[in-house]
Amino acid sequence: MNEFSRRGFLGLAGAAGVAGLAACAGTGTSPTTGGGGGSSNTIEFWSNHPGNSKPVEQEIIKAFEAANSGLKVKLVDAGKNYEEVAQKFNASLAGGSLPDVVVVSDVTWFNFALNKQLSPLDDLLSSAKIETSDYVDALYNDYNLDDKHYALPYSRSTPLFYYNKDLWKAAGLEDRGPKDWDEFLTWAPKLKAAAGSDKIVMELPDGSNYLDWVFQNMVWGYGGAYSKEWTPTFSDPNTVKAGTYLQNLAKDGYLKLSKDPAPDFTAGIVACSMMSTGSLGGVAKDAKFPVGTAFLPGDGNCPTGGAGVGIPATISDDRKKNALKFIEFLTNAQNTVTFTQATGYMPVRKSAVDLPEEKAFLEKNPNAKTAIEQLPKTRSQDNARVLLPGGGARIGKGLDQIVQGQDVATVFKGLDAESQQVFDSQIKSKLGA
Amino acid sequence: MQSSVTQPQSATPGSGGPPPEVGPPPRRSSGRAWEWSLAALLLLPNLLLLIVFTYRPLLDNIRLSFTDWNISSPIANPVGLSNYIEWFGRDDTKIIVRNTLVFTIATVGISMAVGLGLALLLDQKLRGRNLVRSIVFAPFVISGAAIGIAFQFVFDPQFGLVRDLLARIGVASPDFYQEPGWALFMVTVTYIWKNLGYTFVIYLAALQGRRADLDEAAEIDGATAWTRFRRVLMPQLRPTTFFLSITVLLSSVQVFDIINVMTRGGPQGNGTTTLVYQVYQETFVNQRAGYGATVATIMFVILLVVTVVQVRFMDRGKQA
Amino acid sequence: MSTPTIVGSLDDEQLPQTARRGRRRRASHHAEASTHHRGPLWTAAGYAGMVLVVLVIAVPLFWILLTSFKERGDIYVRPAQWWPDPVTGQNYRELTTRIPFFDYVRNSVIITSATSVAKIVLGVISAYALSLLRFPGRSVVFLVVIAALMVPNQITVISNYALVAQLGWRNTFQGIIIPLAGVAFGTFLMRNQFLSLPGEIIEAARLDGAGPMKLLWRVVMPMSWPTLVAFALITVVNEWNEYLWPFLMSDDESTAPLPVGLTFLQNNDGVTNWGPVMAGTVLAMLPILVLFLFLQRQMIKGLTAGAVKS
Repeated sequence: MNEFSRRGFLGLAGAAGVAGLAACAGTGTSPTTGGGGGSSNTIEFWSNHPGNSKPVEQEIIKAFEAANSGLKVKLVDAGKNYEEVAQKFNASLAGGSLPDVVVVSDVTWFNFALNKQLSPLDDLLSSAKIETSDYVDALYNDYNLDDKHYALPYSRSTPLFYYNKDLWKAAGLEDRGPKDWDEFLTWAPKLKAAAGSDKIVMELPDGSNYLDWVFQNMVWGYGGAYSKEWTPTFSDPNTVKAGTYLQNLAKDGYLKLSKDPAPDFTAGIVACSMMSTGSLGGVAKDAKFPVGTAFLPGDGNCPTGGAGVGIPATISDDRKKNALKFIEFLTNAQNTVTFTQATGYMPVRKSAVDLPEEKAFLEKNPNAKTAIEQLPKTRSQDNARVLLPGGGARIGKGLDQIVQGQDVATVFKGLDAESQQVFDSQIKSKLGA
Repeated sequence: MQSSVTQPQSATPGSGGPPPEVGPPPRRSSGRAWEWSLAALLLLPNLLLLIVFTYRPLLDNIRLSFTDWNISSPIANPVGLSNYIEWFGRDDTKIIVRNTLVFTIATVGISMAVGLGLALLLDQKLRGRNLVRSIVFAPFVISGAAIGIAFQFVFDPQFGLVRDLLARIGVASPDFYQEPGWALFMVTVTYIWKNLGYTFVIYLAALQGRRADLDEAAEIDGATAWTRFRRVLMPQLRPTTFFLSITVLLSSVQVFDIINVMTRGGPQGNGTTTLVYQVYQETFVNQRAGYGATVATIMFVILLVVTVVQVRFMDRGKQA
Repeated sequence: MSTPTIVGSLDDEQLPQTARRGRRRRASHHAEASTHHRGPLWTAAGYAGMVLVVLVIAVPLFWILLTSFKERGDIYVRPAQWWPDPVTGQNYRELTTRIPFFDYVRNSVIITSATSVAKIVLGVISAYALSLLRFPGRSVVFLVVIAALMVPNQITVISNYALVAQLGWRNTFQGIIIPLAGVAFGTFLMRNQFLSLPGEIIEAARLDGAGPMKLLWRVVMPMSWPTLVAFALITVVNEWNEYLWPFLMSDDESTAPLPVGLTFLQNNDGVTNWGPVMAGTVLAMLPILVLFLFLQRQMIKGLTAGAVKS
């Protein structure tokens, strides 16, 4: 094979660079941290502090250090969102200085796993005698590739159906979410009449802001899917039906897309939306009307989302062992409760809901309860969105076009072709390798 | 070799003053080797930094543009020209190039013209001009990311200033975030607003340093304001205009922050995607770093050609 | 003064006569030109123009400022709220308590001043070499310098990260500063400026026996003051706002500058409270605006000072 190592090349280039640098370096040299080797008793945790969670993360780290003398955790600000963490992790893959634990999102983990940059955790887990059956199944299995798991769930969210109870009442609707999207269609005219011309019946995020995530619910509700395993199924009649439904909602003036529906919803000018459970705290705090939450329409049609934590593949076994110890601690029942209560994410452990502090919390927060009760009904997302490179953006673009009135069948046919082409050229040869 | 390169062709004899004393040492004969080494000494640190931190990565990038490198992979397989062939054949290339052209031409043209206008205005002795100068400069100071967020309050179809102002005269606001044409308009306006401070400051500095004696001579000749502007001022500002036309163009083409914060290249996938945004998108989102490197290389070559043409144009203008 | 004129201390009295004359004339005439031909109509148009500028440019700025004093629930309301009611300082308090704001400020000051000084010095001496010294391949070197402006940083960061990490400079100031210190823009700007200086003055100074460094400091630089100030201002602004590279290099508030720090006020999966973000934007802008007010006065002073002296 005519392959050559990128790292080798960079190493050479780097050495040449150092020689050149020596001439002009020397401005304020301060003690430097270790390079690629890393220290085996300091665990570097690269996080974007999902949901403004830095204080909670620090709290959990402190507890971990108290329970494991000799181990230190260094919390690194690795980005403002999942994309930036991935960017920084990619940079470190090219140049050494790897973290021990890194946050990877539902979209970003796969490429790292596929390119053998994340450790499969199964052997590590079994040799550390960590029981995985307590993790919520759908969340745990999200990180499955070729029967190996490459991350453990951490900051996990799902979409939730949010509605404005005042507008619901004005439209004479029952105080609940729609059973399915067909029922919603019978509600929409009433909502529109009640809301008036300057308000919006339903607002969803646009294709650049994860419409493709929440739309999976509609697709599944009509029996379609973006893909079955690796085969794209956009042209499936049921998927097209869902696309047409979305388009008609827009055509009839019931649906608007925006960069971020949360402010419009909390301002009371939107009757309902599908947004992340992560928005729950903020929306509840800002809204000047009673906020209702419900399961997404349909049964078992709620996509999972959010992020997990993984371990780089090429660090030493000692570091991996310590990293896993930390991950286990970070996501144990007690800490997942602490973390999720502070942020609005979902507890990732089944036993978490039995803890007294979680029971008390849910008692006081009925909307959070909706989200947690929905959790067992969640479904892992379609490969075409989360595992194909650029899948989210590709589908989002198509959905934007549909909402703007382009022909559904044509747009979806294009998505089929593009997705297949991306799979063939970027994934196929690496699977099972 | 010419003996005195620094003497511009246009050098006029000192205006009536006695001729300068003749310098004592014969510098010119010994000057050369000595001048070379001084030049090397002065240029070396900067060149080294540019070579190590700009050109080394650029060469690496050009090499990677001929591979299928996945951003997370340790391995890059050579694929010959196929990335280049793909770029020229792909549907979205046309849209992205068009976006880049529209954005760049608008930002270069408008921000230079308005920047010059503002500099001329605020070069006058007017009360409060220091404050107004600061206001013009202020947007340039805010980071692109913060501007993107702030302008959400200008263009938001529900809460924005534009909507508010249009509503007062009974006009409905377009949805700047969802309609590709308006979205491109929005990022262009935002970018121009932010970067006016740059063209303004450079033009202002040039006006402060200009040779006002020429102005006066023209005035005595009884030329009109417009003629003075065209015949006297603009030729003097020519090097500045040339400089700005290149630097504004290069920085406009590389706009990233504002697009990333405002539209992420959308709506409809590539409504506001420009070449640099495509580099980012392909490299870090689609993980096709090899293809991203191809786009970056193509962009570099285009910019190099455009700049060389600009320099030529400038030189020809000088001789005319 | 009794210093021999050959390489004598070239202070203002001893400037070659043409140089002195040229400078005085330009400076005084410029000041005159600004006041000269202004009828009342021109003045009125000038003020009208200023009002227009303020309206168009300042309104979004004003909006940022207003938002920073609004309560969370008042930021997104319809119709838009043109004056905060009630005015609150809560966002500024939150800004300084939720993130280590002053650590980020300190880092920004260190990174910006070190990088700017390096860039200004390197820019001036490179431009001097490229405009007033004679050596073979000068235009090639110049092209190499400005072509660096055509390389987007999205493609340089990964490779530079590798290099700097191997040096063990991650999360250090030198790791952030040195890769940013090369200067293409400033070299271009200052070269342009130096070339536009009247050749007779330079030549006269040379013939008068000024060595190359003296020529730079005593003749070329004083005549280039406005452009140098513009160069400094733009460099400071760019370094102050630098995001991508410092973000990749820094681990936490020990080295991260403000633009990186302010992003941690945003909620990446939920509802962001924009009040503190706007407060941070306002505070990040202030020091640079103060610097601008100070420097833009210098821009004019540089010229008039020469005129007064002679």
